Parts: sequence; C-alpha cells; structure tokens
Amino acid sequence: ESSCNSDGDAIKVFVRVRPLTQNTGLTTDCDNSLCLTVTSPQTIRLHCKPEPRTFIYDHVADMDTNQEEVFSSVAKNIVESCMNGYNGTIFAYGQTGSGKTFTMLGPSELDTFSDELRGVIPRSFEYLFFLINREVEQSGGTKSFLCKCSFIEIYNEQIYDLLDSVSSSLFLREDIKRGVFVEGAVEKYAASAAEAYQVLSMGWRNRRVASTSMNRESSRSHAVFTMTLESKETGQDVVNIRTSQLNLVDLAGSERQKDTHAEGSRLKEASSINRSLMCLGHVIMTLVDVSNGKHRHICYRDSKLTFFLRDSLGGNAKTYIIANVHPGSKCFGETLSTLQFAQRAKLIKNKAMVNEDTQGNVR
Amino acid sequence: MAANQSTEWRAVCEKFRLALELSENESKKDPENNPFRSKYKARDLLNEILCSLKKIELEEYGECENEAGCHSEQTVEAETENGLGKACAGDSPAGLRAARLAVVQYYLGVNHIETEELSAGEQHLMNCMKLIDDCTTTRENVSLFINVRNQLGILWAGRDEIEKAQGYLEIAESMYLLYMREDGQPPLDLQEFFVAEGEEFSTQEKIRRFEMSYTHTLYYLAQVYKNLEEFERAGQYCHSTLQRQLEYKHFVPLEWAINAATLSQYYVTKTRYMEARHCLSAASVIATLAGEIPSEAAAKESEPECEKREELLQKRADIARCWIKYCLNLLQDAKKLLEDNIGELDLDRQDELKRERRNEEDEKEKGRKSAIIFGSSDTYDSICSLEEKVSSILPLDFEEARSIFLVGQDYVAQAKEYFAMDGHVTDHIEILQDHSALFKVLAFFEQDLERRCKMHKRRVDMLEPICKDLNAQYYLLICRQLQFELAETYYEMMDLKLAVADKLDQPDVHTIKKFNHLCSSSMKYYQMFLDSIRSPEGKFPEKLEDELLRPALVAKFRVARLHSKLISNQLSAQLENLDHALESYNFIVQYCEEHPDAKSAVETELELSMEMVSLLPLKINRIKSRLNSN
Repeated sequence: ESSCNSDGDAIKVFVRVRPLTQNTGLTTDCDNSLCLTVTSPQTIRLHCKPEPRTFIYDHVADMDTNQEEVFSSVAKNIVESCMNGYNGTIFAYGQTGSGKTFTMLGPSELDTFSDELRGVIPRSFEYLFFLINREVEQSGGTKSFLCKCSFIEIYNEQIYDLLDSVSSSLFLREDIKRGVFVEGAVEKYAASAAEAYQVLSMGWRNRRVASTSMNRESSRSHAVFTMTLESKETGQDVVNIRTSQLNLVDLAGSERQKDTHAEGSRLKEASSINRSLMCLGHVIMTLVDVSNGKHRHICYRDSKLTFFLRDSLGGNAKTYIIANVHPGSKCFGETLSTLQFAQRAKLIKNKAMVNEDTQGNVR
Repeated sequence: MAANQSTEWRAVCEKFRLALELSENESKKDPENNPFRSKYKARDLLNEILCSLKKIELEEYGECENEAGCHSEQTVEAETENGLGKACAGDSPAGLRAARLAVVQYYLGVNHIETEELSAGEQHLMNCMKLIDDCTTTRENVSLFINVRNQLGILWAGRDEIEKAQGYLEIAESMYLLYMREDGQPPLDLQEFFVAEGEEFSTQEKIRRFEMSYTHTLYYLAQVYKNLEEFERAGQYCHSTLQRQLEYKHFVPLEWAINAATLSQYYVTKTRYMEARHCLSAASVIATLAGEIPSEAAAKESEPECEKREELLQKRADIARCWIKYCLNLLQDAKKLLEDNIGELDLDRQDELKRERRNEEDEKEKGRKSAIIFGSSDTYDSICSLEEKVSSILPLDFEEARSIFLVGQDYVAQAKEYFAMDGHVTDHIEILQDHSALFKVLAFFEQDLERRCKMHKRRVDMLEPICKDLNAQYYLLICRQLQFELAETYYEMMDLKLAVADKLDQPDVHTIKKFNHLCSSSMKYYQMFLDSIRSPEGKFPEKLEDELLRPALVAKFRVARLHSKLISNQLSAQLENLDHALESYNFIVQYCEEHPDAKSAVETELELSMEMVSLLPLKINRIKSRLNSN
C-alpha cells in the first residue's frame, strides 16, 4: 500500500481508549463521566470547554477494540518490513493506568502466552517466527535466520541491563556498521516465539525486582526490548546477510515526563546543594538561533532514550506510536497532553537536510 | 540587643538553627511516600518562633506599643528627614524588629512553596514584604529585600505571569545597585538575625552570601528575558551571571566552561566574534581548573577515575568543537563579504575592505571589549594570551584566512581524539564535515587553481572512505549529506580542471582522462544520493519531501550537465551522453509541470533545463545524422 517511500517513513500514531475502570484500586475508579468520544476510526473528540476539540490520527481505537485488531493495525506491517531488512519501532505512551502494559503485554505477564488477551509483544513474536518459518521452508534451505534479544531499562539517564540483574550501568556507543548499541548488554538467542517470550518475562521480572530493591520506580523508567534479526541467504557463490532491528518500547508514564522537562515559562532555580546554576546552559542553548544558516555546536547531549532511538525518531525506520488514554473525566488534563504529544509526534520526520549551499551560482 | 542575652532568645535561635537543618539537609532523606516530612517539622518550628517573637515583643515593648509598630510618631520624623516616604529607618529598633519578623515570614513563605502550597507561600512572602516595605533600605535588611523579591519572581514566573516576575526581579536588581553605590558595606545575612552573640558570619561570608543572592537575581532575569523573547538582553544576563560566578568563585569549573562555550555559540550566530572568542578562551582556561585528566591506567583501576577521565575528555573535546565552529563561521562570513556574483574572490572589494580596515580606529573595539571581559585576577592573563592566538576580525586575504584555518584544524585534531570513529560515529563524522568545510572555505581565498584543486582533493580523501563504509540503514541522513558533498566537491574540481585546461591550447590525453574521471565521480555520488530516495522496491517517489525537493532536483540538474560535459571522440558515446543529459533535464521540467509548487525552489535550474530541453534535440539530431552518414 505504501508505494510512496516518503509516506512509509513518517511516524504513525495509533490512539487507544481503554474501558472505564471498576474496583481496580486505581484513582480513576467509578469515574463514569467521559471526557472524550471516538467519532470515527481516525478521529477523537475531546470535550474541551468552551468548544470541543477534534484530533486526527492514523487510527483511533475505542473501548471495545480487541488485542488482535490493535496488533493487525500497528505491528503486522512493522514485523513484515523487519523481515525485509528494515528497522522498526513500536512505542507505547500514556499516563500510568491508561493501559500501556495491557496493550503491549496483556493482562498479567506470565501465563498469557496463549491467552486471547495477550498483547502486541507476544503477538509480534508469534507472527515474526511464523514468517521466519515460512521463509525458511519456501527457500528450500537457502535462507536461515538468527534472532537475538536484549532488554534494557533507562532510569535517571542510566542504562541497566534487565537480562543481567547484577550488571552496573552501561554505556551507549556507536559503530559505523551497526549504529547505536548498548555496550556489553546481554544478548539471548531465541529460536521460537516461546523462547523470545521467556527472555521478555525474565527481564520484566528483573525490572520489578529492581524497582523494589533498588528504589527504581518503574513508572519513571523506559524499558526497551530489542530483537535483532539476521537473515542469511546462500546463493551461487554469494552469501547475502541482512540485519534489522525491532524495538518495543514501554515509555515512562507521561505524567512523570512532564516534570522532567518542565515546559513553559517556569524559572529554573539555583539548587541549594552546590549552588550550581545548572540550567544556565539550557537557557543559553535556547538563545542560539539556527535560522541564519550559521553552524554551531551545542555541548549538551541528547537524552539516552532519544540517542538510542534516534534512528526511529525521524530516521530510516518504520515507527508506530501507541498513545493510550483513559476516557474518564478525571483524566482530562493527562489525556489532553497525551493527545497533544501524539499530534507532535506525527510531525517528527526524517530531517533530511542536505548541505546544499550552492544555490544561485549555477556554473 | 537586649533580647540576645535571655534564655528565651537562645531557645529561639536554637529552633531556627534546627528548622534550617531540617529544611536543607534532613529533607533529602525523607521517604518517597512522605516527601515533605522534614519540611513540615521545620514549618512547625518557624511558627513557634513567630509566636515567641511576638511574645518577646509584648514583654519588652508592650508598654509603648506605638513604638513597636512602624506607625509611630517616628514616621513623620523619618519621612521629613529623608523624604523617601519610608516610615522608619531600617536600622532603628523598630526597623530591626520588623525585619526579624519578616525573616521568619520569608522562611515560612519558602517552606510553603517548597511543599507545593503556593498561595500560602505567596501570603507569607507578601507579609514579609509588608513588614519591611515601610523601612529604609539599610545594611541590616537589604539582603532580605533582595531575597524576598527573588522568591516572588520565581513564584510568579511559575504561574506564567512573566511580567509580574520581571517587576520583582528588576526592583531587586536596582536595589542591589543602589545599595552598592550608596553604602557598599557587607550587609547582614538573613540567618544572622537568629544567631547568638559572637556567632555572626565573618565579613567574607557576609559578602559571599549577599553577592550570591544578587547573582541569582541576574540568573532569574536571564530566564525571564529569555521567556519574554528579549534574547539580546537574556544573553547579556547570562554573561553577567557567568562573570559573577567567576568573580566570587561560585562555580564548578567544568560546568562553567561548558556554559561559556555555549554562550560563545550565541555570539557566533550573532556574528560577534570578539565576544565569542573571549567566551571560548575563558572556557578553555577555566576547563583546566577542573583538574588533571586521569591517566588511562588510573581509569582502569577505579570507576570514579574512569568517569572523571571520560567527563574531562568529553567536555574538552566539546569546547574544541565550539572553537572549530568559531573559525569556520569567521572564514565563511569573510567569504560572503568578499565574493562576487559567481562566488569568486572579488579583488576590488578586497582592496576596498583592506583600505577601510587601515583607516578604522580600534578605539571602538577597545570600548566594546572592556564591556565583556571575563576573568578573575588569577585567570585574566591566561585568557588574554589564549585570545591572541586567533584573530577575531574577518580575514581579507589568503594569509589571514590560513592562520584561522590552521587554528581550526588544530581543534579538529583535538576534538577527534575523544570523538573517535569507534564509539562516536555521528560526532566523528560531524567533525570531519567541519574539517572539510574549513578546507572548502580556505580554497576560496587561494588564487592558484592547481593548489585550490588539491585542497578539494583533501576533502575527498577524508570523506570518501567513510561514505563507503557507513551503514545507510542506521545513518541515512549522514550518508546523504556525504554523498551530496562528495558529488559537489568532484564537481568543483572538474570546474577547476576545466579552467586550467582552457588556458592551454590543446589539452593532452592525460588531462582529458583526468577531467572525465572527475565528471564521472561527481555523477556517481549524485546518483547514489538520488538512489537513496528510492523506495525499497526501487521506485522514485512521485512527490518529493520538502527537505529533499531542492537537493534532489539540483542533483538531477548536475547529472544532466555532467553528462553533456563528458569529453569523447566517439560520436556514439557523445550521443549516448547527450541522451542521458536530455533525459535528466526532462525530468526536472516534467516534475515542475506536475508539481507547480516546486518551481520556486529551483527557478534558475528550471529555466536552464527548459532551454536545454529545446536545444539538445537539435544537437542530438546533428550527431545522429553525422553517425548515419558515416
């Protein structure tokens, strides 16, 4: 369907509205009045005052959408292009309690492998290995695949390996051939969907252990599960090797993100600890303007997450963002900010600026 | 003060000390589920102090209640005396009592704000203001005046009322300036209102605290002006903040150096090179105060040493990269000034600018310079000597350009040491791209065409191997940039060879071979760039993305020209080349017909393409008929 490359690379956004909560212990329980309506499969109306606002996305799923439907619209295409050697990323974004984990994993982590309610991740595993097996069969043994999994957590700008619970924090590095990677992260081979799922559950357990024993709050951390798929095709005298990556990302709760980059006009205070005026640099940074064509260097690094996923955020990859929202009127503020984030995300595109500066002097 | 002696007073001071301790240190250890425990305890203590103060006041001054407030007969006296409309002198007993209550109100205000009770916090801060507003500003209360306004500034900015914040902060600023002009003695600190006799701060400590609160005023104002989009002013206030941090030794060297280097980039974008150079020199000098870089061996031994090494190396490399941009922009701005309408050095303009420069007094420069100076007595000389190593005026000839180029090149080497290809691909390539850009702009100043060509060859040599190895699956954007730059560089070299050949009567076989090689290399990279735009199935997009529109059409245009420039003796080869050229010209014309909004992006190219589309078929037909007749 995406005959046009430029369209295929833009980030897509899927908005999912969860059902109302009852007796779940969440603060949103018994909040029966709604703050939004799904008006079509692409539009959602938020009951703002004085006027309601309509948001448009690639897909909007209402409360009774099932897991299979979410998987088909979001992940199927991405898994298929991974088979063809392209990188793919799926993000889940939203307020804590809006259904991110349910969408990505399913109701409870461990025994859901065969459950109707299992989420995008287990379904992606199944589909990926289904495709692998089919390819291997069809190729008559000339094609083979190798699948490696790693699972990391980014908390407070530190990277932890969820597959190696005793490791200290790790570094991000870049390689001319393989791009950005986490140095020293454990990679586990998976030969089937069940094995991949086992790796995932192990990491997920470690994440919970870490959050209790090491005071890491999981709603404040990002978790990135990466599958590296390597395909090898043996033809006459040539061996063709292709690799691709599938990143499945569970972002920190959106309500927490807000306080980290406190937006707007709020002043950064001088911290009383070492009297450091840390944010001065960020103030200056925003003064430096790029519009006049000057080249400048800014000494502040990207956040670890954006650096790691740089390729997926406006790069050369297929990317889907699932924005989860809770329909309750109590969540109005959070829902609005999630919808706005999702709308901004749609604008992120490959910033393919080519230094073409000889405009005007054709010789 | 009589109060200082009593047991009751000593208890108040002890409570105050405890409240500060709870609020500043204990609170850091508060559990996640009860984050304000210590702050609440501190608040209770502050409220108790407030009660005690009122009680002491009643006991000691109860009989003459009038005197206790600020509305006694004194009022009239004071008013007529200084004519400022203030009710009482800040250093009178009444003024001191008011200030003491105000200090407690101040701390209560800060406490409420820190515990997210903003309105209550505001109320306390306003109480504080009210208590002292009737008093004249003196050594005793000036610090309080400034601190309470800083807090109100933060509070209102947080509520998105920037103008209100600006008002408070600007008053704090002018109050400081006025006080320093009229008195200037080290003022009393807020905490000194509640210390036992003999435990007052040293003069030095008083100065330190007072100057720091003013530095904070400037730091907040820098942010306020930024939010108001008064960037010029914001830049000035960032600068003053940095300067004061240095002057009063309130800084972490590495952090300061990075901030100064960042500020230099602001000045670079404003083409204020003298200021930019000053910031960079200061950044380099101050960065060395962060200590020696631990050796590789030491880094292997211990983790903290390893982290320190990593941090120091990285920040220094970052500062070096800011220097590179400085040199690059200085050269590029000079080029813009000196080039004629086809991008060559305009010799008349060069003479004119040189004359102008000779006539210009450097007085103006000197005046500007004294306004921006950074440095304390110990660093001033090192900063100045670093500045002298590179010019801050636009270079006008090759020699001047070369000396700036060489400085830039040294920093390239320095930056590459940390940002090695292995581990820092993107950064490393960005540095190489700058290096290439330095060569490109230096070549502009070179008059000898052969030597100029060699400079472009250097660019090819540094970029070509990477372009070959870099994985486009992860670095698509950089790949495209490199492809385009290589194509352009070969194109430029081809042009230079052509100019050299034009001077010869009859170009030899070797020259022709060389020329054709440059043409095909350029075409190859333009083609690679164009291919990168194709879909996975190999299809060229029907509509080009905005960012790619001009580069893609320009690449097509160049490919067309290059095809028609290839030299060949064989008619069949000539015909083939011209066919290719026509095809590419046609592409541009057709694309613009189908997408009229693309026309404005490639006006000149489109015009020439249309011309070629009408002319080339004639030429092709001539060759065809000659081929047929043979």
